[in-house]
Amino acid sequence: MRRAPRLHWISILLGLLVLMSVVSFHAYTAIKPEPVQHAREHRDLPDRTLALAFHGGPDPKWTPRLLTALRESGVKATFFVTGTQVTRNPSVTRRIADEGHQIALDGFRVEGDLGNPLNLAFAQAALADVLGTHTRLVGAPVEVDSGDRDYQDIGTLVRMSLQHGGGVVRLHDDGSIGADIARELAKAPGYRFVTVTGDRPVEATATERFTGAVTAWSQRNGGFVLTLLGTAIAIAALLGLLRTLMQLGLAHTDRRLRREGEQEPQPWFALPVSVVIPAYNEAVNIAATVKSIAANNHCADVEVIVVDDGSTDGTADRAEELGLPGVTVIRQANQGKPAALNTGIRQAKHDVLVLLDGDTIFEPGTIGELVQPFADSRVGAVSGNAKVGNRKGLLGRWQHLEYCAGSNLDRQILHALRCIPTVPGAVGAFRKAALTDVGGVSDDTLAEDTDLTMAVTRAGWRVAYRQQAKAWTEAPTTVHGLFRQRYRWSYGTFQAMWKHRGALLENGPMGRFGLIYLLAFHLLLPMLAPVMDLYVLYGFLVADAPLALIVWAVFLLLQTASAGYALRLDGESLKPLWAYPLQQIVYRQLMYAVVIQSLFTAWHGTQLKWMSVRRTGLLTDAPGGTVHVT
Amino acid sequence: MQIFVDANGSRRVVARLVSLTVASGLIVFAAVVGGTLLEMW
Repeated sequence: MRRAPRLHWISILLGLLVLMSVVSFHAYTAIKPEPVQHAREHRDLPDRTLALAFHGGPDPKWTPRLLTALRESGVKATFFVTGTQVTRNPSVTRRIADEGHQIALDGFRVEGDLGNPLNLAFAQAALADVLGTHTRLVGAPVEVDSGDRDYQDIGTLVRMSLQHGGGVVRLHDDGSIGADIARELAKAPGYRFVTVTGDRPVEATATERFTGAVTAWSQRNGGFVLTLLGTAIAIAALLGLLRTLMQLGLAHTDRRLRREGEQEPQPWFALPVSVVIPAYNEAVNIAATVKSIAANNHCADVEVIVVDDGSTDGTADRAEELGLPGVTVIRQANQGKPAALNTGIRQAKHDVLVLLDGDTIFEPGTIGELVQPFADSRVGAVSGNAKVGNRKGLLGRWQHLEYCAGSNLDRQILHALRCIPTVPGAVGAFRKAALTDVGGVSDDTLAEDTDLTMAVTRAGWRVAYRQQAKAWTEAPTTVHGLFRQRYRWSYGTFQAMWKHRGALLENGPMGRFGLIYLLAFHLLLPMLAPVMDLYVLYGFLVADAPLALIVWAVFLLLQTASAGYALRLDGESLKPLWAYPLQQIVYRQLMYAVVIQSLFTAWHGTQLKWMSVRRTGLLTDAPGGTVHVT
Repeated sequence: MQIFVDANGSRRVVARLVSLTVASGLIVFAAVVGGTLLEMW
């Protein structure tokens, strides 16, 4: 296998980080905490000199009125602004500067919050964005209180402002009274008006202006980004709900069919069967697999063909050593699984072919059950019920749960919609005529089973699901192994979907439901899942943590209930369900990483080869394996 | 030839270039914004 693309992960992680920063910053600026009292410096002004210091703005309504009053009076004042207000009212801020008043910083979100140095950086960034400058005057000095927060009477306010015969006078421009008092003070005889300091604004650097533009954009548009994230989550929730509804519908249909089946049991159907087992380096498991097939209780002939696809570990020898009657071993140079399957199909003498992997264990009744749906001559393929054999350990349990709550439940829903997209390589049966119709197994994709099933459906055959036809398969035991297996499955499924995209325009169930189902639940939902995690993280860290916890818990509860129901439908114990909530932390992320990786691989056009799973032989521990394999 | 596989590898080169540009762009972006804020801090 050529090295899979990786660079995009850096982009995705950085992109998510940037997105997270944007919405967090937006949330931060939306909150206005209590003003903070800060230590003020003493500033001496000459006698009968007034420096009018306005706080609380810039305000979109009142600051322009004040500016007009100041202009008419010919007074220059100092505006102690807050960073978030500057970003909210850029044109007012520019007007303050353009009319020659001094701009100073009071805080970022609220007056006095510059004790946190990051707030000072944000406030300066806001100024850099709007004015292209930064200011050295940070925090007001000791001021004479004009009383404009406590009194309305102009005479009182003027008297209070002039009580020390000069100095820095504290006023506010976020209310109507600011302009009135400024006008009255300007008329005070013998007073000179100055700004708090004579400092000129300092030109901001290009990076300061850029950073200011970024923080200002985040403050203004963080809400929109949050809405986008919320929409993505709503779509994901809707999809989840849709799946639950389909599940409920399925339960209803299932109950009805069972009742009908009990009233009129179908006659048992027994056809001779050829079993084809393609195997590549399956020496550890092949004996168990072949023995489990040989131990079948099918009421007709069962021919077994093992096709060794150039194994280097003596797989063919292991199969031959068994010396079981009716078992043929074919050796060929390594050509890939599709070629091995085609060799076996060509050699098969019966009209019904059971295809299974070299790591799968059948129960004695599996072949008999797989054959039953072929009683309907329109059925071209039958999917069995693949189950995880090695369920010990968290990873095994998770996969078992996923097989039941994911793949098998999907298969039941899709069976009801008559568009099963995959008869799994682990356990499936095909009518030879259907295979001939589609020209055998193609090597166009890495998911030859999905490709083949879609082709058979498009050729007009029905694909059935036989839940009772159980087969035990060995699941990967390491996270790396699991990632590789799912990567191949996911990438192969996308290949098959693309190959059969024409089905969307055809009048068959594959296009009407199958491809759309795969698009919605195997592409769109995993793509939206990271956004959901991001949102939960945002909820915990930035927004309302208890609410985030409740939403997350409800979501988890619904999913767990759904998984429990799927287990019940499959006749499984509910005990492993305790491991389900833990899936949310590692397993789910791994699964969407697989989908994203597959999409990037498709975009890159990288040639992936078969990735074999390291076999451990743990299948002898399988619930269905211990009985027959010794 | 498998589905999606690019015979001459040109798509791979383009994809890598795009990934490289986006990744380095984001790194520079984060460094400039983070660095400037730290400086102002």
